[in-house]
Amino acid sequence: MPIETFVKKFSECLEEPPSDPLSPATVFKKLPMWDSLAILTFTDTIDMDYGVLLKKADYDSSETLEDLFKIVITRA
Amino acid sequence: MANCSFKKSQIRGLVTCVPSKEKRIDDELDLFDGNTKQIARLKKTIGLDRRRVVCNDETTADLCESAARRLFSETDLAESSVDALIFVTQTPDYSQPCNAAVLHGRLGLEKSVAAFDVNLGCSGYVYGLWLSYMMIESGSCQNILLLAGDTISRVVHPKDRTVAPLFGDGGSATWITRSGEESVSWFNLGTDGLGYDKLIIPAGGFRAPSSSKSKAEITDQEGNVRTAESLHMDGAEIFNFSISEEPSAVRELLDFAKIDQEEIDYFVFHQANRYILKNIAKRLKIPDSKVPMQTVERFGNQSSASIPSAICGELSPILKDANKTKLFLSGFGVGLSWGSAIIEASNVKICEIIEYK
Repeated sequence: MPIETFVKKFSECLEEPPSDPLSPATVFKKLPMWDSLAILTFTDTIDMDYGVLLKKADYDSSETLEDLFKIVITRA
Repeated sequence: MANCSFKKSQIRGLVTCVPSKEKRIDDELDLFDGNTKQIARLKKTIGLDRRRVVCNDETTADLCESAARRLFSETDLAESSVDALIFVTQTPDYSQPCNAAVLHGRLGLEKSVAAFDVNLGCSGYVYGLWLSYMMIESGSCQNILLLAGDTISRVVHPKDRTVAPLFGDGGSATWITRSGEESVSWFNLGTDGLGYDKLIIPAGGFRAPSSSKSKAEITDQEGNVRTAESLHMDGAEIFNFSISEEPSAVRELLDFAKIDQEEIDYFVFHQANRYILKNIAKRLKIPDSKVPMQTVERFGNQSSASIPSAICGELSPILKDANKTKLFLSGFGVGLSWGSAIIEASNVKICEIIEYK
Protein backbone atom coordinates (compact mmCIF):
# COMPACT_ATOMS: atom_id res chain seq x y z
CA MET A 1 0.00 0.00 0.00
CA PRO A 2 1.45 3.38 -0.95
CA ILE A 3 2.26 5.85 1.80
CA GLU A 4 -0.29 8.30 0.38
CA THR A 5 -3.07 5.82 1.21
CA PHE A 6 -1.64 5.43 4.72
CA VAL A 7 -1.67 9.20 5.20
CA LYS A 8 -5.25 9.38 3.91
CA LYS A 9 -6.34 6.70 6.39
CA PHE A 10 -4.69 8.67 9.16
CA SER A 11 -6.52 11.81 8.11
CA GLU A 12 -9.86 10.00 8.19
CA CYS A 13 -9.33 9.09 11.84
CA LEU A 14 -9.13 12.73 12.90
CA GLU A 15 -12.33 14.41 14.01
CA GLU A 16 -11.69 17.48 11.87
CA PRO A 17 -9.49 17.91 8.81
CA PRO A 18 -6.18 19.59 9.71
CA SER A 19 -5.64 23.19 8.59
CA ASP A 20 -2.51 22.19 6.63
CA PRO A 21 -2.63 19.15 4.33
CA LEU A 22 -1.03 16.05 5.81
CA SER A 23 2.10 14.52 4.29
CA PRO A 24 4.49 11.70 5.22
CA ALA A 25 6.63 14.35 6.95
CA THR A 26 3.79 15.52 9.22
CA VAL A 27 4.72 15.37 12.91
CA PHE A 28 1.47 13.74 13.91
CA LYS A 29 1.84 14.13 17.67
CA LYS A 30 1.76 17.90 17.30
CA LEU A 31 -1.65 17.86 15.63
CA PRO A 32 -4.31 19.19 18.03
CA MET A 33 -6.77 16.54 16.81
CA TRP A 34 -4.38 13.69 17.69
CA ASP A 35 -6.03 12.57 20.91
CA SER A 36 -6.93 9.30 22.60
CA LEU A 37 -9.96 8.75 20.36
CA ALA A 38 -7.89 9.31 17.25
CA ILE A 39 -5.29 6.82 18.52
CA LEU A 40 -8.07 4.31 19.10
CA THR A 41 -9.62 4.59 15.67
CA PHE A 42 -6.29 4.74 13.83
CA THR A 43 -4.92 1.69 15.69
CA ASP A 44 -8.10 -0.16 14.79
CA THR A 45 -7.96 0.90 11.14
CA ILE A 46 -4.34 -0.18 10.71
CA ASP A 47 -4.96 -3.51 12.42
CA MET A 48 -7.97 -4.22 10.19
CA ASP A 49 -6.28 -3.10 6.96
CA TYR A 50 -2.66 -4.17 7.47
CA GLY A 51 -2.94 -6.78 10.26
CA VAL A 52 -0.48 -4.77 12.36
CA LEU A 53 -1.35 -3.76 15.91
CA LEU A 54 0.45 -0.52 16.74
CA LYS A 55 1.40 -0.18 20.39
CA LYS A 56 2.06 2.79 22.64
CA ALA A 57 5.82 2.27 22.21
CA ASP A 58 5.40 2.54 18.43
CA TYR A 59 3.67 5.88 18.72
CA ASP A 60 6.19 7.05 21.32
CA SER A 61 9.15 6.17 19.13
CA SER A 62 7.71 7.81 15.98
CA GLU A 63 7.77 11.45 15.05
CA THR A 64 6.32 11.57 11.56
CA LEU A 65 3.68 9.62 9.68
CA GLU A 66 6.47 8.13 7.60
CA ASP A 67 8.05 6.72 10.79
CA LEU A 68 4.76 5.02 11.61
CA PHE A 69 4.36 3.79 8.05
CA LYS A 70 7.81 2.16 8.16
CA ILE A 71 6.87 0.26 11.32
CA VAL A 72 3.67 -0.98 9.72
CA ILE A 73 5.34 -2.02 6.46
CA THR A 74 8.10 -3.87 8.33
CA ARG A 75 5.58 -5.93 10.29
CA ALA A 76 2.88 -6.41 7.66
CA MET B 1 -5.67 -23.18 30.76
CA ALA B 2 -7.09 -26.20 29.05
CA ASN B 3 -10.57 -26.02 27.65
CA CYS B 4 -13.17 -27.94 29.60
CA SER B 5 -16.81 -28.93 29.39
CA PHE B 6 -19.58 -29.88 31.80
CA LYS B 7 -22.92 -31.61 31.46
CA LYS B 8 -24.96 -31.25 34.63
CA SER B 9 -24.95 -27.59 35.67
CA GLN B 10 -27.46 -24.91 34.81
CA ILE B 11 -28.36 -21.33 35.70
CA ARG B 12 -31.82 -21.26 37.31
CA GLY B 13 -32.09 -17.57 38.10
CA LEU B 14 -30.23 -14.30 38.09
CA VAL B 15 -30.87 -10.80 39.34
CA THR B 16 -28.77 -7.67 38.88
CA CYS B 17 -29.08 -4.72 41.24
CA VAL B 18 -28.04 -1.24 40.10
CA PRO B 19 -27.79 1.91 42.23
CA SER B 20 -30.63 4.40 41.82
CA LYS B 21 -28.29 7.36 41.30
CA GLU B 22 -27.68 8.10 37.63
CA LYS B 23 -24.94 10.24 36.13
CA ARG B 24 -25.03 11.51 32.55
CA ILE B 25 -22.02 12.60 30.56
CA ASP B 26 -24.14 15.49 29.21
CA ASP B 27 -24.23 16.91 32.73
CA GLU B 28 -20.45 16.76 33.20
CA LEU B 29 -19.34 19.83 31.36
CA ASP B 30 -16.90 20.72 34.14
CA LEU B 31 -15.08 17.42 33.74
CA PHE B 32 -14.55 18.22 30.06
CA ASP B 33 -13.70 21.90 30.64
CA GLY B 34 -16.91 22.92 28.90
CA ASN B 35 -15.92 21.11 25.70
CA THR B 36 -19.33 20.03 24.39
CA LYS B 37 -17.79 18.85 21.11
CA GLN B 38 -15.64 16.34 22.95
CA ILE B 39 -18.63 15.07 24.90
CA ALA B 40 -20.60 14.66 21.66
CA ARG B 41 -17.67 12.82 20.11
CA LEU B 42 -17.34 10.46 23.08
CA LYS B 43 -21.05 9.72 22.93
CA LYS B 44 -20.94 9.07 19.20
CA THR B 45 -17.67 7.11 18.99
CA ILE B 46 -17.46 5.24 22.29
CA GLY B 47 -21.13 5.24 23.21
CA LEU B 48 -20.66 6.90 26.60
CA ASP B 49 -23.97 8.14 27.91
CA ARG B 50 -25.44 7.26 31.31
CA ARG B 51 -24.12 5.28 34.23
CA ARG B 52 -25.35 4.22 37.66
CA VAL B 53 -23.15 4.98 40.63
CA VAL B 54 -23.43 4.26 44.33
CA CYS B 55 -23.65 6.87 47.05
CA ASN B 56 -20.71 6.97 49.44
CA ASP B 57 -22.21 4.61 52.00
CA GLU B 58 -23.32 1.96 49.49
CA THR B 59 -21.07 -0.99 48.68
CA THR B 60 -20.85 -3.95 46.35
CA ALA B 61 -22.00 -6.18 49.20
CA ASP B 62 -25.16 -4.08 49.57
CA LEU B 63 -26.01 -4.35 45.86
CA CYS B 64 -25.35 -8.10 45.78
CA GLU B 65 -27.33 -8.66 48.97
CA SER B 66 -30.36 -6.95 47.41
CA ALA B 67 -29.99 -9.06 44.28
CA ALA B 68 -29.66 -12.25 46.36
CA ARG B 69 -32.71 -11.45 48.50
CA ARG B 70 -34.77 -10.90 45.35
CA LEU B 71 -33.52 -14.24 44.00
CA PHE B 72 -34.59 -16.03 47.20
CA SER B 73 -38.00 -14.34 47.31
CA GLU B 74 -38.89 -14.97 43.67
CA THR B 75 -37.67 -18.57 43.26
CA ASP B 76 -37.94 -21.80 45.20
CA LEU B 77 -34.28 -21.60 46.21
CA ALA B 78 -34.21 -21.65 50.01
CA GLU B 79 -31.36 -20.12 51.98
CA SER B 80 -30.91 -23.50 53.67
CA SER B 81 -30.35 -25.19 50.28
CA VAL B 82 -27.26 -23.17 49.33
CA ASP B 83 -24.10 -25.30 49.46
CA ALA B 84 -21.57 -22.65 48.42
CA LEU B 85 -21.33 -18.90 48.07
CA ILE B 86 -18.80 -17.43 45.66
CA PHE B 87 -18.30 -13.65 45.68
CA VAL B 88 -16.50 -12.15 42.69
CA THR B 89 -15.35 -8.59 43.33
CA GLN B 90 -12.42 -6.21 43.43
CA THR B 91 -14.23 -3.74 45.66
CA PRO B 92 -14.97 -5.69 48.86
CA ASP B 93 -16.23 -4.11 52.08
CA TYR B 94 -13.01 -5.05 53.89
CA SER B 95 -9.53 -6.25 52.95
CA GLN B 96 -10.31 -8.93 55.56
CA PRO B 97 -12.65 -10.82 55.91
CA CYS B 98 -13.90 -11.71 52.45
CA ASN B 99 -17.25 -10.44 51.19
CA ALA B 100 -18.54 -14.01 50.87
CA ALA B 101 -18.24 -14.51 54.63
CA VAL B 102 -19.92 -11.17 55.35
CA LEU B 103 -22.83 -12.00 53.02
CA HIS B 104 -23.04 -15.53 54.39
CA GLY B 105 -23.88 -14.00 57.74
CA ARG B 106 -26.20 -11.32 56.40
CA LEU B 107 -28.17 -13.81 54.31
CA GLY B 108 -28.43 -16.34 57.14
CA LEU B 109 -26.87 -19.27 55.30
CA GLU B 110 -25.99 -22.60 56.93
CA LYS B 111 -22.62 -23.13 58.64
CA SER B 112 -21.90 -26.00 56.27
CA VAL B 113 -21.65 -23.55 53.35
CA ALA B 114 -18.30 -23.01 51.62
CA ALA B 115 -17.84 -19.27 51.09
CA PHE B 116 -14.95 -17.47 49.40
CA ASP B 117 -14.09 -14.46 47.26
CA VAL B 118 -12.57 -14.35 43.79
CA ASN B 119 -10.49 -11.24 43.11
CA LEU B 120 -11.26 -10.63 39.44
CA GLY B 121 -12.99 -7.87 37.50
CA CYS B 122 -14.32 -7.93 33.96
CA SER B 123 -13.55 -11.64 33.42
CA GLY B 124 -14.78 -12.54 36.92
CA TYR B 125 -18.35 -13.58 36.16
CA VAL B 126 -17.19 -16.28 33.75
CA TYR B 127 -14.59 -17.46 36.28
CA GLY B 128 -17.33 -17.60 38.91
CA LEU B 129 -19.54 -19.69 36.64
CA TRP B 130 -16.62 -22.00 35.82
CA LEU B 131 -15.92 -22.59 39.51
CA SER B 132 -19.63 -23.11 40.19
CA TYR B 133 -20.05 -25.62 37.37
CA MET B 134 -16.92 -27.47 38.47
CA MET B 135 -18.09 -27.67 42.09
CA ILE B 136 -21.44 -29.05 40.99
CA GLU B 137 -19.94 -31.57 38.56
CA SER B 138 -17.59 -32.79 41.31
CA GLY B 139 -20.64 -33.83 43.31
CA SER B 140 -19.85 -31.56 46.23
CA CYS B 141 -22.60 -29.00 45.64
CA GLN B 142 -26.22 -29.00 44.52
CA ASN B 143 -26.92 -25.25 44.65
CA ILE B 144 -24.44 -22.41 44.38
CA LEU B 145 -25.03 -18.72 44.94
CA LEU B 146 -22.68 -16.72 42.75
CA LEU B 147 -22.47 -13.03 43.63
CA ALA B 148 -20.54 -10.80 41.23
CA GLY B 149 -20.31 -7.06 41.42
CA ASP B 150 -18.19 -3.98 41.73
CA THR B 151 -18.36 -0.31 42.65
CA ILE B 152 -15.56 0.98 40.44
CA SER B 153 -17.03 4.50 40.64
CA ARG B 154 -15.52 4.61 44.13
CA VAL B 155 -11.97 3.96 42.94
CA VAL B 156 -11.86 6.31 39.95
CA HIS B 157 -10.81 9.90 40.50
CA PRO B 158 -13.78 12.09 39.56
CA LYS B 159 -11.51 14.40 37.58
CA ASP B 160 -9.92 11.64 35.49
CA ARG B 161 -11.61 11.66 32.08
CA THR B 162 -9.90 8.41 31.05
CA VAL B 163 -11.95 6.38 33.54
CA ALA B 164 -14.58 8.45 35.42
CA PRO B 165 -17.19 8.62 32.63
CA LEU B 166 -16.74 4.96 31.71
CA PHE B 167 -17.45 3.01 34.87
CA GLY B 168 -20.76 2.31 36.57
CA ASP B 169 -21.64 0.08 39.51
CA GLY B 170 -23.70 -3.06 39.89
CA GLY B 171 -24.13 -6.26 41.86
CA SER B 172 -25.56 -9.56 40.66
CA ALA B 173 -26.77 -12.81 42.15
CA THR B 174 -26.91 -16.03 40.12
CA TRP B 175 -28.34 -19.37 41.20
CA ILE B 176 -26.54 -22.32 39.65
CA THR B 177 -27.89 -25.80 40.25
CA ARG B 178 -27.42 -29.43 39.26
CA SER B 179 -29.65 -30.00 36.26
CA GLY B 180 -32.00 -32.97 35.98
CA GLU B 181 -31.50 -33.08 32.24
CA GLU B 182 -28.31 -32.81 30.25
CA SER B 183 -27.13 -29.23 29.86
CA VAL B 184 -23.79 -29.04 28.11
CA SER B 185 -21.38 -26.17 28.67
CA TRP B 186 -17.85 -25.33 27.58
CA PHE B 187 -15.27 -23.01 29.18
CA ASN B 188 -11.95 -21.45 28.29
CA LEU B 189 -9.92 -19.13 30.52
CA GLY B 190 -6.70 -17.19 30.12
CA THR B 191 -4.31 -14.70 31.69
CA ASP B 192 -1.52 -12.37 30.58
CA GLY B 193 0.07 -11.21 33.82
CA LEU B 194 2.71 -9.17 31.99
CA GLY B 195 -0.09 -6.67 31.44
CA TYR B 196 -0.88 -6.39 35.15
CA ASP B 197 -0.15 -2.66 35.19
CA LYS B 198 -2.39 -1.70 32.27
CA LEU B 199 -5.41 -1.45 34.55
CA ILE B 200 -4.31 -0.99 38.12
CA ILE B 201 -4.72 0.81 41.43
CA PRO B 202 -0.99 1.25 42.13
CA ALA B 203 -1.12 2.04 45.86
CA GLY B 204 -3.17 1.16 48.92
CA GLY B 205 -2.24 -2.53 49.03
CA PHE B 206 0.81 -4.04 50.70
CA ARG B 207 3.29 -3.33 47.85
CA ALA B 208 2.75 0.41 48.23
CA PRO B 209 0.75 1.03 51.41
CA SER B 210 -1.54 4.00 51.73
CA SER B 211 0.33 7.17 52.71
CA SER B 212 0.07 10.91 52.36
CA LYS B 213 2.17 10.56 49.20
CA SER B 214 -0.14 7.98 47.67
CA LYS B 215 -3.11 10.23 48.40
CA ALA B 216 -1.52 13.26 46.70
CA GLU B 217 -3.26 14.41 43.53
CA ILE B 218 -1.23 14.42 40.34
CA THR B 219 -2.32 16.11 37.11
CA ASP B 220 -1.14 14.51 33.87
CA GLN B 221 -0.29 16.24 30.57
CA GLU B 222 -3.91 16.02 29.39
CA GLY B 223 -5.20 17.63 32.59
CA ASN B 224 -6.54 14.42 34.16
CA VAL B 225 -6.26 14.27 37.93
CA ARG B 226 -5.63 11.08 39.90
CA THR B 227 -3.80 9.77 42.94
CA ALA B 228 -1.76 6.58 43.30
CA GLU B 229 -4.80 5.12 45.05
CA SER B 230 -7.09 5.77 42.06
CA LEU B 231 -7.71 3.42 39.16
CA HIS B 232 -5.20 3.93 36.33
CA MET B 233 -6.03 2.68 32.84
CA ASP B 234 -3.79 2.56 29.80
CA GLY B 235 -6.71 2.84 27.41
CA ALA B 236 -4.74 2.17 24.23
CA GLU B 237 -3.17 -1.02 25.61
CA ILE B 238 -6.49 -2.26 27.00
CA PHE B 239 -8.07 -1.65 23.61
CA ASN B 240 -5.28 -3.53 21.86
CA PHE B 241 -5.67 -6.41 24.31
CA SER B 242 -9.43 -6.52 23.72
CA ILE B 243 -9.29 -6.60 19.94
CA SER B 244 -6.40 -9.06 19.76
CA GLU B 245 -7.18 -11.61 22.52
CA GLU B 246 -10.95 -11.55 22.52
CA PRO B 247 -11.74 -12.65 18.95
CA SER B 248 -9.15 -15.45 19.11
CA ALA B 249 -10.51 -16.65 22.48
CA VAL B 250 -13.99 -16.83 20.96
CA ARG B 251 -12.77 -18.82 17.96
CA GLU B 252 -10.77 -21.18 20.17
CA LEU B 253 -13.74 -22.08 22.35
CA LEU B 254 -16.06 -22.54 19.37
CA ASP B 255 -13.47 -24.88 17.84
CA PHE B 256 -13.16 -26.85 21.06
CA ALA B 257 -16.93 -27.16 21.44
CA LYS B 258 -17.25 -28.03 17.72
CA ILE B 259 -20.02 -25.46 17.46
CA ASP B 260 -20.53 -23.22 14.45
CA GLN B 261 -20.72 -19.53 15.25
CA GLU B 262 -24.19 -19.46 13.69
CA GLU B 263 -25.48 -21.94 16.29
CA ILE B 264 -24.93 -19.42 19.08
CA ASP B 265 -28.08 -17.42 19.77
CA TYR B 266 -26.41 -14.54 21.62
CA PHE B 267 -22.87 -13.41 22.34
CA VAL B 268 -22.83 -11.63 25.69
CA PHE B 269 -19.51 -9.86 25.93
CA HIS B 270 -18.27 -7.86 28.89
CA GLN B 271 -19.88 -4.44 28.44
CA ALA B 272 -16.65 -2.44 28.15
CA ASN B 273 -18.00 0.18 25.78
CA ARG B 274 -19.96 0.22 22.52
CA TYR B 275 -16.87 0.80 20.37
CA ILE B 276 -15.13 -2.31 21.66
CA LEU B 277 -18.31 -4.41 21.48
CA LYS B 278 -19.00 -3.40 17.90
CA ASN B 279 -15.37 -3.91 17.01
CA ILE B 280 -15.24 -7.46 18.37
CA ALA B 281 -18.53 -8.29 16.64
CA LYS B 282 -17.17 -6.90 13.36
CA ARG B 283 -13.96 -8.89 13.59
CA LEU B 284 -15.88 -12.10 14.27
CA LYS B 285 -18.53 -11.25 11.66
CA ILE B 286 -21.31 -11.60 14.22
CA PRO B 287 -24.45 -9.60 13.42
CA ASP B 288 -25.03 -6.76 15.91
CA SER B 289 -28.49 -8.22 16.64
CA LYS B 290 -26.80 -11.15 18.39
CA VAL B 291 -24.63 -8.96 20.61
CA PRO B 292 -26.31 -7.16 23.53
CA MET B 293 -24.71 -3.71 23.80
CA GLN B 294 -27.35 -1.41 25.26
CA THR B 295 -26.37 -2.19 28.84
CA VAL B 296 -23.12 -0.22 28.89
CA GLU B 297 -24.92 2.90 27.64
CA ARG B 298 -27.57 2.60 30.36
CA PHE B 299 -25.41 1.63 33.30
CA GLY B 300 -21.74 2.13 32.37
CA ASN B 301 -18.98 -0.49 32.45
CA GLN B 302 -20.02 -2.50 35.52
CA SER B 303 -16.89 -4.68 35.71
CA SER B 304 -17.79 -8.16 37.06
CA ALA B 305 -21.53 -7.33 37.00
CA SER B 306 -21.63 -6.34 33.34
CA ILE B 307 -22.37 -9.77 31.83
CA PRO B 308 -25.24 -10.66 34.21
CA SER B 309 -26.49 -7.09 33.81
CA ALA B 310 -26.58 -7.46 30.02
CA ILE B 311 -28.36 -10.82 30.31
CA CYS B 312 -30.95 -9.46 32.76
CA GLY B 313 -31.49 -6.22 30.87
CA GLU B 314 -31.55 -7.49 27.31
CA LEU B 315 -32.31 -11.23 27.24
CA SER B 316 -34.78 -11.83 30.05
CA PRO B 317 -37.81 -13.09 28.05
CA ILE B 318 -35.60 -15.40 25.99
CA LEU B 319 -34.01 -17.06 29.02
CA LYS B 320 -37.36 -17.60 30.73
CA ASP B 321 -38.63 -19.47 27.68
CA ALA B 322 -38.79 -23.27 27.73
CA ASN B 323 -36.72 -23.53 24.56
CA LYS B 324 -32.99 -23.79 25.06
CA THR B 325 -30.94 -20.73 24.20
CA LYS B 326 -27.24 -21.07 23.49
CA LEU B 327 -25.27 -18.22 25.01
CA PHE B 328 -21.64 -17.36 24.45
CA LEU B 329 -20.39 -15.38 27.46
CA SER B 330 -17.02 -13.68 27.43
CA GLY B 331 -15.32 -11.32 29.85
CA PHE B 332 -11.95 -9.62 29.46
CA GLY B 333 -10.02 -6.96 31.32
CA VAL B 334 -8.03 -6.30 34.49
CA GLY B 335 -5.30 -8.88 35.12
CA LEU B 336 -5.03 -9.05 32.21
CA SER B 337 -7.54 -11.83 32.38
CA TRP B 338 -10.19 -13.34 30.14
CA GLY B 339 -12.74 -16.10 30.24
CA SER B 340 -15.32 -17.48 27.83
CA ALA B 341 -18.18 -19.90 28.22
CA ILE B 342 -20.84 -21.48 26.04
CA ILE B 343 -23.87 -22.36 28.12
CA GLU B 344 -27.42 -23.48 27.46
CA ALA B 345 -30.22 -21.67 29.27
CA SER B 346 -33.97 -22.30 29.48
CA ASN B 347 -36.77 -21.99 32.03
CA VAL B 348 -34.75 -19.48 34.05
CA LYS B 349 -37.05 -18.62 36.96
CA ILE B 350 -36.04 -15.00 37.33
CA CYS B 351 -33.92 -12.75 35.16
CA GLU B 352 -34.31 -9.09 35.97
CA ILE B 353 -32.69 -5.81 36.93
CA ILE B 354 -33.72 -4.14 40.16
CA GLU B 355 -32.82 -0.76 41.63
CA TYR B 356 -31.12 -0.48 44.99
CA LYS B 357 -33.27 1.22 47.60
